[in-house]
Amino acid sequence: MDEVAAAPWDRQGGEIDTDTRVTLFERMLLMRRFEEEVIAVAAAHKYIGRNHLYIGHEATGAAVLAALRPGDVAHTTHRNHGHLIARGADPGKALAEIMGRENGYNRGRGGTWHICSREVGFLSTSAMVGGSVGLAVGAGLAAQRARRRTISVALFGDGALDEGIGYEGLNFASVFNLPVLFMCENNAKTGQRPSSMLAAQSLLDVPRALRIESVLVNGVDVEAVYKTATWAVERIRRTGAPVFIEAKLERWPGSHQLKPELTTGRTNLRMGFDLSRITGEHADWIGQQDPVLRHLRILAEAKVLTEADALAIDRRVDEQMKKARAYAEASPFPNPESAPMGVFA
Amino acid sequence: MPEEREITYRAAIIEALREEMRADPRVIVLGEDVGAAGGVFKQTEGLFAEFGTERVIDTPISESGAFGIAVGAAMTGLRPVFEVMFCDFLTLVMDQLVNQAAKVHYMSNGLLSVPLVLRTTMGTGANLGPQHSQSLYAWTAHVPGLKVVVPSTAYDAKGLYRSALRDDNPVLIFEDRLLYNTKSPIPEEPFAVPFGRCDVKRAGSDITIVAVGRMVHAALAAATRLAEHGLDTEVVDPRSLVPLDVEGLVRSVRKTNRVLVVDGGHRQYGAAAEIAATLSEEAFDWLDAPVTRLAAEDVPIPLSRSLEPLVQPNEMRIAEQAQILMGR
Repeated sequence: MDEVAAAPWDRQGGEIDTDTRVTLFERMLLMRRFEEEVIAVAAAHKYIGRNHLYIGHEATGAAVLAALRPGDVAHTTHRNHGHLIARGADPGKALAEIMGRENGYNRGRGGTWHICSREVGFLSTSAMVGGSVGLAVGAGLAAQRARRRTISVALFGDGALDEGIGYEGLNFASVFNLPVLFMCENNAKTGQRPSSMLAAQSLLDVPRALRIESVLVNGVDVEAVYKTATWAVERIRRTGAPVFIEAKLERWPGSHQLKPELTTGRTNLRMGFDLSRITGEHADWIGQQDPVLRHLRILAEAKVLTEADALAIDRRVDEQMKKARAYAEASPFPNPESAPMGVFA
Repeated sequence: MPEEREITYRAAIIEALREEMRADPRVIVLGEDVGAAGGVFKQTEGLFAEFGTERVIDTPISESGAFGIAVGAAMTGLRPVFEVMFCDFLTLVMDQLVNQAAKVHYMSNGLLSVPLVLRTTMGTGANLGPQHSQSLYAWTAHVPGLKVVVPSTAYDAKGLYRSALRDDNPVLIFEDRLLYNTKSPIPEEPFAVPFGRCDVKRAGSDITIVAVGRMVHAALAAATRLAEHGLDTEVVDPRSLVPLDVEGLVRSVRKTNRVLVVDGGHRQYGAAAEIAATLSEEAFDWLDAPVTRLAAEDVPIPLSRSLEPLVQPNEMRIAEQAQILMGR
C-alpha cells in the first residue's frame, strides 16, 4: 500500500468539502442497505439469491461514480448493484430487476448480472469476466471519434487482468489514446485463492508495461478514492489518454460464489461511534475493512456528524429502501407471452 | 435503357461500403490490414485513401479485444464494420459476439442496440489447410440475436451490404474468397437487397436445390448438366440464413416436391440440417421424397489439392445426388 501516499491529488493538495464527505457517506450507506435488502428479499423469495454483492466495495463505487459528469458512461460487471446505486439508479427498479419483475430496469430480461440503465449512464453490465473492459474501450473510441468530451469507465475486478480481453482492451486504449478510466477493484483476500493469478508482482505492472498512467489507492478509504478518481477523470478529460486505478480492498467475509450470507450482520452505525460494540468472529473486517463504518468514524472524529445525525441519515435511507422493496414486490412478473420479443432491434 | 455495367463481387462490396461511409459518418471500418494495405484480399481497397485513419482503423492482431471494442462503440453511437480476416478466426471473437453483441439488445430490454457488421471470408478451394478454409456460418446462425448473410453474387453482395449497414442489429456477412473476382451486372444507382427474401437463381419444376454461398454456382452448373438428362432444376439461394425465408423455400417445394440442400459448411448440425428440418416440418405434405443434404464432409479441410476437393460438394456430386433423389 506504499504507493497510496503518492496519489497525485494529494500532491496537489486540496481537501474534500464537508457536503461531499457527507454525501459520499449517505450514498455508501444506501449502497450497503440495498445489498442487505437483497439478502432479505432472497430469503423471503426462494427463487433468487445468486447475487454478487457489493458489500465492502462501497468506497470505490461511491467515489468513482461521484467523480463522473452527466454524459460519461460506465460498463460494469456481475458485481454491479453498488455501481448503479452509486450513480443514482432507482433502488426500486434495480431491486425489481434482480427479482425478475416487469417494472425492473430491463423487465427481468437481465437480472442481477446485467442491470442496465441508460438514464444514469450505465450501458451493459457484463457477467463475462473482463467483458466490461472491451466494451468500455469501445465507448471510449466512439467518444473520441465523435469528438465528445465524455469519458468511459470500465469497472472490473482483479480477475479481469487474467483474461485476454482485459489485456487487449488496455493495449487498444493505449495505442489509440482513448478516454477510458480503468477502475480495478482488487478484492483479492490474503490466504484465500485470489481471483487473479498473475505472474506479475503487482497488477499495475500490466497497465504500466502498456504505458498507461497507473495508480494504487486504498479502496477502503472513500476520500482517498474520491481524490484519486477526481484527479484521474480530470486528467483523462484534459489529455484524452487512459488512466488505470487499482483500488485495493479486502473481500467481505459474507461473499460466496453461489449465495452470499450476511455473516457480518446488518450494519450498525453505532459501531462508528463506539468501537467496543465491534465483537465476534468478523470483528477485524468490521473494524478495519468496512468502508462505511470507516468513513463514519472519520466524520465523527472530525465532528462533521454526530451519532444523532448518522442515525437520522440511516432512517432516511431505510425509508427509501422500504419504498424500493414495496415497489419491487408489487411489480408483477413479465407476461410469459413477451419472452420472444425484443431479440432484434 | 443504358447497358448495365458488370463489376466484381469485391468491387461491389467496396462500393457499398463507400456509398454508406459517404452518407453516414458513423460508419467506420476496423480490422487487421484493412487500412493502407486495403485488405489481404484487397476487399477494402481505396477506403483508406478516401476516409483516412479516422474511419478506417487498422487494429492490433487482437480479434477478441478489437471486436469487443467494436461492440462497445456500436452501443455508443458508431456503426462499425469489423473484419475478421478468415472466418476460422471467429473462434477468437466468439465471447464478444455471442455473450455481448447478440444479447445486449434483449437483456437491456431494448435500451441498447448493437448496429454492427462483422464481415469475414470463408471457403475451400485455395489449398489453405484446416485453419483457413472453413465455412462457419452455422455456428453464428445458432445464436439468437445475430443476423447471418451469405451473398453468392456481386449483385446480392452489394444489396445485402446496404441492408446490413442500415440494420440496427449485429449482422454477419460471410464472403467466399473464390467469389471475389466473379462479376454480375449492377445498377449505377444504390439499391438494397432485403434480408429474409430468398432468390430463385434458376426456375425449374422437377427438383429444388437450395444452395448457400458459392454452392449456388455449383448448383447452377449441376442444373445445366441435369437439363441434359431432361431434369428441370430450380436453384434457390436463401441469401440470408437468419432471417430465413421459410415461406419462399416452401413455395419452391410446393412446385417441385423434391429438395436437395447444398451447403459448403460441415454436414453435422449444420445450415443444411436446419433448412432440411424446417422444410420437412413446413412442407411435409408436398414432399415426394425425403429432404436430402449435401454438405462438406465432417473432417477438417485438408490442404493437399488431391484431398481438398473431396470434402466439398461440387457440380458432379450435386448432379448425382439430384438424380438419386429423382429415383433415376
